[in-house]
Amino acid sequence: MISIPYILLIAFAGALLSFVIHHIAPKLRTPVALLTTVLLLYFVWALPANSLINIKIGDFILTWGTTAYGQLFGMLVAVLGFFTVLYSTDFMASKERLGYFYMNFLFVIGGMLGIVYSQDFISLFFFWEIMTWSSFMLVIYCCKDAQSIGLKYFVFSAIGAYSILIGIVLLYSSMGTLQFKNIFGHINEISTGIKISVIILMIIGFGVKSALMPLHVWAPDAYAVSPSPFTALFSGALSKMGIFGIGLVLFKLAAHTGFYSYVQYTLAWIGGITALLATFYAIAQTDAKKLLAYSSIGQLGYIIVGLAIGTPLSIAAALFLAILHAIFKSMLFMATGAVYMRTGTTNMTEVSGLIRKMPISFVTALFGIITVAGVPPLGGFAAKWMLYESLIQSGHYFLVIVIFAASTAAFLYLFRYIFSLFLGQEEKEWENVKEVPWTMQIPMILMTIFVLVIGVFPGLLLDPISSAMQYLNVKPFDYQMSVLFNNWGGKVDMQIVVRSIAAVFILLGIFITIKGYRNTRYVTTKDIHTSGEIPTENENLTYAVDFYKPFERSIAPLLKASIDKVYTLTGDIFEQAFDYLRYVYTGNGQTYAMYVVLFLAILLLFSELIFGIIL
Amino acid sequence: MSPVHFIAIPLFAAFLIPLVGKVSKNLVKLIPGIVFLYLSYVAITLFPIGIHKPIVEIIAGFKAPFGISLYYGPLAAFLTTMITLIGFVIWLYSYKFIIREPIEKYYMLFMMLITGSTGIVLTGDVFNLFVFLEITAIAAYSLTAFLRDKDGAEAAFKYLLIGSFSSTFVLLAIVLLYANVHTLNMADIATKISSVPLTTRIFILILFLMGLGIESEMFPLNGWAPDAYSQAPSPVGAVFGGIVVKASIYALMRLIYLMFEFQSVMHFLVIMGVITMLIAEMSAMRQQQIKRMLAFSSIGQMGLVIIAFGVGTEPSVRAALFQMFNHALIKSLLFFAAGYLVFHSGSKKISALDGLGHDKPITSFFFAFGALAIIGLPPFSGFWSKLYVLLSVANSGLFAAVALILFSSVVEAIYYLRVVSRLYFNTEVATDVRRTPVSGLVAMGILTLVILFVGFYPNLVLHWMTPAANELLNKAAYIKAGLFH
Amino acid sequence: MNINWLSVLGIITTPIIAFIVGVTYGGLTRRITARIQNRYGPPSSQNLLDIIKLYSKETSIQHGVMQHLGPVFAITASITTLYFIPVIKNSVVFTNLSFNGDLIFLLYIMVFGSLGMALGAGQTGNPNAAIGVSRGLSQMVGYEIPFVLSLVAIMTQFHTTSLTDLLAVQKHFADWIIFQSPLAFIAGILAFLGMMGYAPFDVVIAPAEIASGPPSEFGGKYLALMMTSRSIFTFAKLVLFTDIFLGGASDFITLIIKTFLLYMIPVLTGIVFPRFRTEQSICFFWKWPLVFGVLAILVVVL
Repeated sequence: MISIPYILLIAFAGALLSFVIHHIAPKLRTPVALLTTVLLLYFVWALPANSLINIKIGDFILTWGTTAYGQLFGMLVAVLGFFTVLYSTDFMASKERLGYFYMNFLFVIGGMLGIVYSQDFISLFFFWEIMTWSSFMLVIYCCKDAQSIGLKYFVFSAIGAYSILIGIVLLYSSMGTLQFKNIFGHINEISTGIKISVIILMIIGFGVKSALMPLHVWAPDAYAVSPSPFTALFSGALSKMGIFGIGLVLFKLAAHTGFYSYVQYTLAWIGGITALLATFYAIAQTDAKKLLAYSSIGQLGYIIVGLAIGTPLSIAAALFLAILHAIFKSMLFMATGAVYMRTGTTNMTEVSGLIRKMPISFVTALFGIITVAGVPPLGGFAAKWMLYESLIQSGHYFLVIVIFAASTAAFLYLFRYIFSLFLGQEEKEWENVKEVPWTMQIPMILMTIFVLVIGVFPGLLLDPISSAMQYLNVKPFDYQMSVLFNNWGGKVDMQIVVRSIAAVFILLGIFITIKGYRNTRYVTTKDIHTSGEIPTENENLTYAVDFYKPFERSIAPLLKASIDKVYTLTGDIFEQAFDYLRYVYTGNGQTYAMYVVLFLAILLLFSELIFGIIL
Repeated sequence: MSPVHFIAIPLFAAFLIPLVGKVSKNLVKLIPGIVFLYLSYVAITLFPIGIHKPIVEIIAGFKAPFGISLYYGPLAAFLTTMITLIGFVIWLYSYKFIIREPIEKYYMLFMMLITGSTGIVLTGDVFNLFVFLEITAIAAYSLTAFLRDKDGAEAAFKYLLIGSFSSTFVLLAIVLLYANVHTLNMADIATKISSVPLTTRIFILILFLMGLGIESEMFPLNGWAPDAYSQAPSPVGAVFGGIVVKASIYALMRLIYLMFEFQSVMHFLVIMGVITMLIAEMSAMRQQQIKRMLAFSSIGQMGLVIIAFGVGTEPSVRAALFQMFNHALIKSLLFFAAGYLVFHSGSKKISALDGLGHDKPITSFFFAFGALAIIGLPPFSGFWSKLYVLLSVANSGLFAAVALILFSSVVEAIYYLRVVSRLYFNTEVATDVRRTPVSGLVAMGILTLVILFVGFYPNLVLHWMTPAANELLNKAAYIKAGLFH
Repeated sequence: MNINWLSVLGIITTPIIAFIVGVTYGGLTRRITARIQNRYGPPSSQNLLDIIKLYSKETSIQHGVMQHLGPVFAITASITTLYFIPVIKNSVVFTNLSFNGDLIFLLYIMVFGSLGMALGAGQTGNPNAAIGVSRGLSQMVGYEIPFVLSLVAIMTQFHTTSLTDLLAVQKHFADWIIFQSPLAFIAGILAFLGMMGYAPFDVVIAPAEIASGPPSEFGGKYLALMMTSRSIFTFAKLVLFTDIFLGGASDFITLIIKTFLLYMIPVLTGIVFPRFRTEQSICFFWKWPLVFGVLAILVVVL
């Protein structure tokens, strides 16, 4: 009963059903969507480890099966799918075209589940495209501005997908099969030129989805305009499909080739530069969602670095971060969505001081940023630690600096994010803001607990990761439930860390609360030290515009360079060229007749050239 | 039961319609429907037979190679079935769409066109091929000018101008052929063609390429197409894209595979296909009118089909046929949807479609569906045929062609999705109280279901594609069946 | 469960010692600065007295829970950092938890406090506090890079990420990493200047510009806790640098001498230099310290 076709069936049937039911009984559409994700969650969770099924479509045998690697991402998709749909129930309640929304939402989830269970390239590509177009539909969901953004997303996705397709076509023409089991491990049977092309094309293709620079330009806008629940899924799970693919390509294809080290080295540096530049761009943003979008690009850069380095510890770090990023970035997008729902904007220069109005969202955002920053004791630290240790110990001395610079600079945007939205002056404009409904709080709270638990017991997540790595033919690495080891005998015991932090924190927290409790009083944020001058009611005390001006000044040349302009220019040039080209069709019958005559003349005159025969 | 019904019944209906028109207009509207239902019955009966063993039908009692013969093999079975299906939905759609008089003339021409197209597909000798081409062409010219406005007349004139080139070339080629081999039976020609001097053969080939290239929209001979598609009534666009062009490309490929199977011709076809596709897709990108855009897209798709035929291996021919089938269905769906979108917005301009998705959700949905399908996205049928084309092209080592096909797919995606996002996400327009008629919606619904079903179960069509492709490639079997049945 | 009472002793006494040493250094600094500037200066116990006074104040105001907890975050980070640094070499009492974490861990736990402080300062709603935090974080990106370069050079050279192991390789005077890897030391010490936040890198508090920045809304018990934290943290950083570069210390006398000498570097630099602007400060760290750090790594690698 519990098998992969049923999972896909549930997802796609649920999608269609929620669309149909939207027009019949609008009240039922959300329960239907929610029920679908619950079923999916259960089915994916209970899926037997050795499911394998072959389906014949056309000439191809589509193979779907569970692997530890696929299951790792499958669980991620299912969990995040459930959380985001649950979050949508209230977030989207007042929006229109909900049938459309839920249909595409579930299509995306179904497409992703299809990808992770694919055991051949045709199914992979099939579901990849379903995921792409349904996510495009959600990107353009919001508004008129979204059209060109959505188109940009689709064009980049199409370029990526078609690179993958060319890779697939090359593999098929040289190996005659597209089954993973016949390709993985047999890659050396084909010529080097094709091998290189396949690997590069596929990395480009998957790199587009994981927003690898310079293919990232679609991401910030697309993340920013898509509805928040979807942004959480987009950045959390959808981008991980790119990571999933790159993992497959690297360890199942490239690892067996002679040029593996070059691929690794190049990819690692691209990832590192992506991480650094994306972080810098994130610092310069004023829109919270765009900031998080750039942050996602940066985090995906880390993950790619980890995968590319290819030591057991670094791969573990990458996969750990991949899962964790899905969680914490969803937390942040959800918190941002909560702010958006209550204030109608995500512009960080407009909103401020929501902490007392929206405490749950604030705590979610706080835990989110601590996890992103990689500060102990939350889960992010384990990922960062493993990444740095593996980088240093595998001799990537300068890459580690780049990565470290990126993650230090990440503090800047993270602080700005939480400060601008939740801290700072409590403005009168947002006086009546309320916390979001419980359906939105639940996913946020659950994920907050998750990052906390993973911080103390990283082993919980490292167990499935190490079995996934086994599938990827990577050597096992050493870890315990809450102790991480590096290759040089160093270790971090998270339990001791957490216990000491908790002990000191609680002790002093109690101390500072109890001491002078009665005489400690709350004052508003207008009641501050302003050198004796009393600020008037409408005096602006919020520091939000150009928050990091000095820093931006010192990295100005980097910010100015923009690959986006190059793409826009290329696009314009193409459009212009197409525009000229269409005047081939003049609309004049005589011209067309002339074409016919000319073509005849050419065929006759150059028949030797064309057909090899003189007339 | 005989395949001759495919030709005779529509022809008979074409004569009957003006007479019935004197009695009742409503009856006129029903006649094509009855014809198509009958043809479907014929198709269903003959299909299982023809797919296994070709039926060769002799008309007027003379045996091949002297008499006139029909050849109903797997390929013809597939194409006639397709024409019947498309014809049926076009009739269904036209039922409420064509409200302008004289409707009996519309249906008469439509029936003529079906006669001609099935004739092209079924005929076994070249002169009849010419005759049916002419019937099709004349019906097509008249249908282009059906609206009797200035633009329609101009488009029809252009079509006529270029079409007369086509007729001349084909006739000239047939005359030359007859002068050399003294037979008109295609199977017979195939056996005797090797005795013809090479230069003459090439000359004949060039004439056929020119003549049939015009009808099958090969660049640069396709100047007539954008105007004809966009000025004719919308169902006629579907007729062109789904029936006329498909029959013409069949004729071209039949002749090339049967008589001129030089390697260099194949290369030429691939190159011409690529050029046709690229220029058409690029031109489509900047079109202001939705039907012109669809016309260019049709040309682009034909380029793809020509590439696949040019590769000339069994998988590629099969892929080409599959692509033809899908394109016929999807482009018809798009023309149908576009027809009502234009009707409701009152303008042919793409910019007039803003926000129509809110006002006319079902029609817009069909358009969006068709757009996704024609770009080649799963799970629609277009995905599989494009994939098959790509794989077969790549298997012959033509990776540059693969890359160019995918490049044009990106372009295609851009201009289709632009329209789709306009439909749904731009500011809403004033609502149009007129409703899309049920018959139109049913026609689109049928196509949608077929596209979706084939998308999930491509074997349904692919299964029959293999014998069809083999028929085209296996010259010896054709000659044997055609001459010594 | 068998409890190692010596460890417990270390856990309890280390922060107290750190506090006393740190606060005294702070007092001495004020006096030394004054003398150089030809003033008399406050007594060296002044800082301690200030803190005691602040603790004894009854009334405090706060703007919310983050401000309330901000100083707790800060001091938690300071004390935890200290716990993971071996204060006295080979001492059972003062190694604390240093076996359970390494240099990378220390790098991260050290920012934990800054982050908490920044959040606390953020909630006060004082624009000066926000500006201060903005500056502080920006400058942090500046000095962390040379600091990590120097650490990477050292970690690579000795194939360890553990402080205990680094102490073990510096048995004799000549083995000190300052001599084994002088370039790394230069990069490290320049970063250290930024880390300590004395002039010319005091953009964060910049009293004359932004009224001492982040802490400007803190008073009473909050300010007291923050100052305590600052004293402990200063000591922790000094011990860390001593352990890394100066061979650590086997007893308290050595420790005091070494840390004091180290401490004087930023203090004395600070007296003679005016304040940088933030971007100047960032760019400073990205010039020479960066070059030294890269050279240090290159020397190790080649």
